[in-house]
Amino acid sequence: MALGNRNVAMSLRHRNNVKVEGNGPATLILSHGFGCDQTMWSYLYRHFTDRFRVVMYDLVGAGQSDLDAYDTGKYGSLAGYAQDLSEIIDEYAIGPVILVSHSVSSMISALADRLMPGRIAAHVMVGPSPCYIDSGDYVGGFKLEAIHSLLDTLDSNYLGWSSTMAPVIMGAPGQPALSEELTNSFCRTEPEIAKQFARVTFMSDNRADIAGLTTPTLILQSTEDLIAPVGVGEYLHNALPGSTLCIVPNVGHCPHMSAPSACSEAMDVFLAPWAGAHVS
Amino acid sequence: MSADLPTPPDFEALFEGAPCGLIVTTEDGTILRTNRIFCEWIGVEQAELQGRRFQTLLTMGGRIFHQTHWAPLMQMQGSVAEVKLDLLHRDGHTVTMLLNGVRRDHVKGAFYELALFGTTDRDRYERELLSARKHAEELLKEKTAAESALRQAKVDLSIAYEKSQRRALFAEQMVAIASHDLKNPLTAIRMATDMLVRGERTAKETKLLEHIGKSSDRAQRMIADLLDLALVRAGNGIGITRSAVELHKVVGQCLNELQLAFPDARLRHQASGEGGVELDADRIQQLVGNLVANSVAYGDPHQAITVVSTQEDGVATVVVQNWGTVIHEAAIASLFEPMTRHSDRDDDVRSVGLGLFIVREIAKAHGGDVTVRSDAIGGTTFTATFATAVNEG
Repeated sequence: MALGNRNVAMSLRHRNNVKVEGNGPATLILSHGFGCDQTMWSYLYRHFTDRFRVVMYDLVGAGQSDLDAYDTGKYGSLAGYAQDLSEIIDEYAIGPVILVSHSVSSMISALADRLMPGRIAAHVMVGPSPCYIDSGDYVGGFKLEAIHSLLDTLDSNYLGWSSTMAPVIMGAPGQPALSEELTNSFCRTEPEIAKQFARVTFMSDNRADIAGLTTPTLILQSTEDLIAPVGVGEYLHNALPGSTLCIVPNVGHCPHMSAPSACSEAMDVFLAPWAGAHVS
Repeated sequence: MSADLPTPPDFEALFEGAPCGLIVTTEDGTILRTNRIFCEWIGVEQAELQGRRFQTLLTMGGRIFHQTHWAPLMQMQGSVAEVKLDLLHRDGHTVTMLLNGVRRDHVKGAFYELALFGTTDRDRYERELLSARKHAEELLKEKTAAESALRQAKVDLSIAYEKSQRRALFAEQMVAIASHDLKNPLTAIRMATDMLVRGERTAKETKLLEHIGKSSDRAQRMIADLLDLALVRAGNGIGITRSAVELHKVVGQCLNELQLAFPDARLRHQASGEGGVELDADRIQQLVGNLVANSVAYGDPHQAITVVSTQEDGVATVVVQNWGTVIHEAAIASLFEPMTRHSDRDDDVRSVGLGLFIVREIAKAHGGDVTVRSDAIGGTTFTATFATAVNEG
């Protein structure tokens, strides 16, 4: 491999804290959502490493990404994140690419798909929403005031994002696998970055971007999800001609964490055409 | 001693009346139990909370924060600490609380045990701190922006200055070259004309030669003026060489020559005071010549032009007075600027509009100045002053 490529890989790895696990003829790229980082995939990704090459990363500004790379202009819209994702695909993907995305990353992945037509073999969207705010007949689930209320909550948790969320007082009962060092770094970010990302996430309207996207897509929709209600999942299913809507019995916005088996079962069926030999 | 102490409350009483809100929920937030204190804080009955989800007690922002951030954290790291949340009181106002939570796993799943502390005043204080910090950051941003704007302005200024320097240099060179190159052919024309005049000429030829001579003189004057302008514009000012001269004699001689040039004009000279001065005689003659030429051009041709030379207390003065039309107040301000004329007359005495400008520059070069007064009673009076000697040393 040319030296230049290695440098690109190094800088991407540093910028997005890219991790590669497993082997297989196709590549799964896992993108986390707003408010967390790639560790939220820890309940799910091991299920696929025996059949897929699995790439995980942190969005710039989140987790262990390079905060110096955060540019308020570039990340002032989801397009900046989509650009990053397309670079990661170019650098790390081998074979067909399946983008597994949670929440806002679903739209980042859709935008990346538009950037590189034909390169993405399929999408798995976990709790996706093309638009969070109600507008006209469309019901996203939120009024604009809710977003302002969120920004206010983020403001008052100024400390929460960067330090005191660590379980300093009680340890981590029931999670012996996660070391203290790791747990302390969960979902940390700069409060100002968290606020801008919140604004970009919840104010964006990507309905026009996803309309008519024909890439095969599995929508994992929780039965009860405040952030992405069932109606939104149905809207997406109608807007994406190649989509499958799978309702996962789950309360909350993170079925890949709280209902990982239901998610992996649905994904196994959907991903079968691209899976490698089961080696375990 | 211990026998004298009252019995501490049992655990049930402690749970209910603990000085913090205590809640047990399932993983999805369904409330299994709350203590009395928490219910009092948000103004609801304990029974009403049974089966409700904890997150429904939060503001919308708190709910999104719960779903996207601290619920995943509870699951991944088993606990959260110091999450600040606004809870909705039954009567509509919000109660700010600090939440610590721990996840307790059991065979069938997990319980979330939450402890909440009121933090309204502390919250207010923190918000004040936060807004002070934001304010300071904004000020810093403004300062940085102002500094960078200043830097940019300095850069722009120096670029503009350099540009104008280059332009001035170019103009100066142009004028110098053109004037120098024009001088020689003009001198040749003048000499040839003088030689031709000496021979036998018809009246018509003599007249024509006279025209040629006058025109080339005028062109030479203009070139000299332009060279002076170039000198001033280049920032060096008009150069003078002082020597001991007799002021009245210099002015008198000058007027004699001017009388030849303007045979129709009535020139009068008055001298007062000791005439010995140290001035640049050539430049003084040029100054007088320009002022008289101006008076001839704009004065009343039927009345005399009076030139007064005086010397008093180390200041030499040359006053030139004519009876021309009164100059407007507004025109006086720009009278000594180059290329300005206060009349549209176009005849033989007209120049390129540098005469008065050069007058002022000559006076300035001598440490003096020139002023003008114009009214119906006293006519138009130019007064040029000169320091008669410089204190060199």
